Amino acid sequence: MNQVACRVPLVDGAAKATGALRFTADLLADPANAGLLHGALIFSPHPHARVLQVETAAALALPGVHAVYWHGNTPANRYNSSIWFAGQQAPADEQMFAATARHIGDRVALVLAETEALARAAAALVVVCYAAMPATLTPEAALAEGAMPAALKTFSHGDTDAAFAGAAVVIEASVSTPRSHHCAIEPHVCLARPEPGGRVLILSPCQSVFAVQAVVACALGLPPERIRVAKTPIGGSFGGKAEPILDPLCAYAALALQRPVLICLNRHETFTATRTRAAMQGRMRVALAADGRILARDTEVLVDVGAYVTGGNYLPGSMLQRLVRLYDVGAERYRGRAVTTNTLPTGAFRGYGSPQIHALAEIALDRAAQQLGMDPLAIRLRNIVAPGAVDPWQGLDLGNARGRDCLVRGAAAFDWPARWRADPGQGRWRRGVGLACATHINGCYPGFEEETTATLRLRSDGRVELICALHDLGCGAETTMAQIAAQMLGLEARAIVIVPTDTDTCPYDLGTRASRLTYICGEAVRRAGAALALAICRTAGLEMNTASDSLRLAAGQVAAAAGGGAALSLADLAARTAARGASLPSATETYRAGANPSSYAAHFAAVEVDTLTGVVRVTDYLAAHDLGRAINPMLVEGQIHGGIQIGLGYALLEDVAIDPASGRVGGASFAHYTLANAPEMPPIRVLLVEEGEPTGPFGAKAVGEIATVPVAPALVNAVNHALATGLGNLPLTPERVLAALQDPPWLARAAG
Amino acid sequence: MSAGLAIAAPRDLAALRALMAEGPLVFLAGGTDALVSGRNLPVAGRLVDLSRVAGLAFIDSAGADIRIGAATTVAALAADPGLSARLPALAQAAALCGAVQIRNRATLGGNIANAAPAADLTPVLLAAQARLALTLPGGARAEVALDGFTPLPGTLITEVILPGTALLPHSAFAKLGPRRELTIARLNLAALAEYDQGRFGAVRLVAGALGPRPRRLPRAEVALAGQVLDAVTLRGYLAALSAEVEAAIPGRASLAWKRRAIAGPGLEVIAGIAGLAPRDALFDTAFGVSFGAVPA
Repeated sequence: MNQVACRVPLVDGAAKATGALRFTADLLADPANAGLLHGALIFSPHPHARVLQVETAAALALPGVHAVYWHGNTPANRYNSSIWFAGQQAPADEQMFAATARHIGDRVALVLAETEALARAAAALVVVCYAAMPATLTPEAALAEGAMPAALKTFSHGDTDAAFAGAAVVIEASVSTPRSHHCAIEPHVCLARPEPGGRVLILSPCQSVFAVQAVVACALGLPPERIRVAKTPIGGSFGGKAEPILDPLCAYAALALQRPVLICLNRHETFTATRTRAAMQGRMRVALAADGRILARDTEVLVDVGAYVTGGNYLPGSMLQRLVRLYDVGAERYRGRAVTTNTLPTGAFRGYGSPQIHALAEIALDRAAQQLGMDPLAIRLRNIVAPGAVDPWQGLDLGNARGRDCLVRGAAAFDWPARWRADPGQGRWRRGVGLACATHINGCYPGFEEETTATLRLRSDGRVELICALHDLGCGAETTMAQIAAQMLGLEARAIVIVPTDTDTCPYDLGTRASRLTYICGEAVRRAGAALALAICRTAGLEMNTASDSLRLAAGQVAAAAGGGAALSLADLAARTAARGASLPSATETYRAGANPSSYAAHFAAVEVDTLTGVVRVTDYLAAHDLGRAINPMLVEGQIHGGIQIGLGYALLEDVAIDPASGRVGGASFAHYTLANAPEMPPIRVLLVEEGEPTGPFGAKAVGEIATVPVAPALVNAVNHALATGLGNLPLTPERVLAALQDPPWLARAAG
Repeated sequence: MSAGLAIAAPRDLAALRALMAEGPLVFLAGGTDALVSGRNLPVAGRLVDLSRVAGLAFIDSAGADIRIGAATTVAALAADPGLSARLPALAQAAALCGAVQIRNRATLGGNIANAAPAADLTPVLLAAQARLALTLPGGARAEVALDGFTPLPGTLITEVILPGTALLPHSAFAKLGPRRELTIARLNLAALAEYDQGRFGAVRLVAGALGPRPRRLPRAEVALAGQVLDAVTLRGYLAALSAEVEAAIPGRASLAWKRRAIAGPGLEVIAGIAGLAPRDALFDTAFGVSFGAVPA
């Protein structure tokens, strides 16, 4: 192998590092976008209010202002921004401009003008008349009002009641996880321009061009073929750009005005008017045998999906799906509810329910271990699923499930047993260690159309072109796919030319979601690579007057597999083939998934807690991951490091902090929404368990989402170990940590 | 940007004062607050860039008084050896202000004029009883105490004077924010003290982010002044710090945390003054007995 399992640098790395790569907002000076208009949005200041009238005259009187759109002068087609394909059933409760604003930051109007400054100045002149309505600002209030949940998922497996009745120990844990924001460096942005034939081209840093097409078609009431979507390079998403928010408005304005239109949110707008991870309140009861076996679990979760359902109707089911893939549990009862409130909508964010449900289950499991007097490592080893296990909900084979290997090898490398037994200390700083396991899916099988199509074609210059609707979110998916194709064709990754993703030129794909890219698209590319290798050998056999099955591809050449003899470079082969007037070798493969194995991880953390201030410092970290095989270990490590950064913030720092009284977002800037920056990050060791997944390309399965999933429970468990506390409300801010500790002696004395 | 706004970038103090004689001005030094937030920028009138005025950025620590030009960057404060020798707290506070890029632009005068409740330099300056040299609108000059100074539009801070008579031999600064670096203080603490052979003499303590302005902490000063540095003194001092917080922010949501958390920076400034490591065993003795989790 000379491409797969190698630390191949990003195929677009140099262009990014030198600034040559053009992001969406960089396209405004492109000649194709001459006459570009800029959009500025007007957002509701009320959590719930009818939009009675929008006074636009003063704004339109400014020279250079072209239009002000609101619900009174635009189509009111209802849609759901989370759909992936035309006709997907989902509650359609959104429209381009709210007739009834459902949260602070809801879109009310859009001003189009010659410059962004002018558009924003004009937006300040628009007067919106609202009729304020009572607002529901918390999930408890939503339940109390008796509204139907947006989603309800229940599941029962085995005899839960009997298991609880016969248990040696029963514990209960309550865990809450906050809303969190993606904090992509590139704010939300979209550019659209009219094309001939009444079509519109949308240039969008998105996670699926076909999802954008489907949503915009619904919103505009146009047939999908009138809407062309091309993916632009993306400056970070993490799920935040999975749902098209600006695209319908941008496309509408471009069509209506017949001018290119750019809408680019500023940082505050990205914080207050896009999507967040849904907050969860969870309660879990666990029944255990004296030897640590989990006999049964009874789980209840409530998620607040915000003002619009978007994909929230899937969230309780997604949480259940991830919950039941980690441990072999005899009996399971689950009830997950999602409710809507008059708060910022929620959506996809790295793990989609997985970080929340694993926080609940893994913090609860540490409590169980404590009750039993067991090492948290031992209780996990007692219960973790084995290779070939079948999940009790969907009945799917979990594949070569190597969670146990992650635990065993990770614990040894971390020196877990000794560190777990070490004294936390009695002074100002207390030390503790924690661990947590996680699992995550690989793709959408058995739901939806879990398939993709890849075409590889020899070019006249000897390089190979890849056509597949890839959506690289910045983590190196294009590099990974180029490595797989190159490996099959005896080329280097840089010899693979990736055709930009465009609804006009690429076959349908679900997009980057559900940790499916390497596992699903990678397998399609691998199969297309195998087929193209055969086609090239057939063509070369004719040129070289040799049996094609005696040839092989290596180092950019076709040569005899046995060695010796003549070799023909792919460039020469392409030139000769073209000279004969024959078409160049090409192969197209459609891969339809037949499995959905699990990826596994075990994370180990050491923390030091300042008992005077409540500040938690993460001092050491080890992440062990079962990913089948790393196509690119360097990119895998990058994904894991980034996952730990997000998870550390989730555990300790980050909170969108919606005020339950006003509905206002508290964490609406980088000054008020605290991310972990470099000095907060611990030294990180990554340990890869590469035992191969038979259904994955070269044995590979996913790592992107799971990397962030076990981080928060590992850190919470470490803090609870250091302090002998039972903290479970994330993030563990200094306030929450101190509130769990007794007053220090000088205060106790002062109070007495 | 409005066409009504004119911008001037005078090259020396004479040119700057001539501009001030002509009419009202808005001053911009590093711009690290005004340019980022945008909202403080005027749309009309004259904006003066102070960053290119010769003679407005200097540190003179050789004389009896320390004199610092108001346009001196925070990075320059953090790096100046003379300043570090005579008032280490100011260099320490400067080193914890914002990010490297912010410190390279932000200025001493700007930190004072911006008057943020969580400003990091101001508590040190107040503890050092700093005075400000001002040029008033119209060009007249004045010198005032920083304590009680309210920044007024059009008034230019030209120099910060740290009177030699008010400097004490030891000083330290500590800060508690949402994270360790690139963070806005939720609490900060500056201390100047006499300390010799294990005993405190005079002590001045000023805390920031406890209300709208930095605040002198007289109870905590009394708890240390003249006392031997031992566990008993420290416990009295920590109790006094909490009492100061309770007096400063009664009823505030952050009170329950800050009345306890101030012990952290409180012990760190003592360590700095006494030349001890923050983890010196002495500080653990202040605990008396170990305290742990709230019983379930």
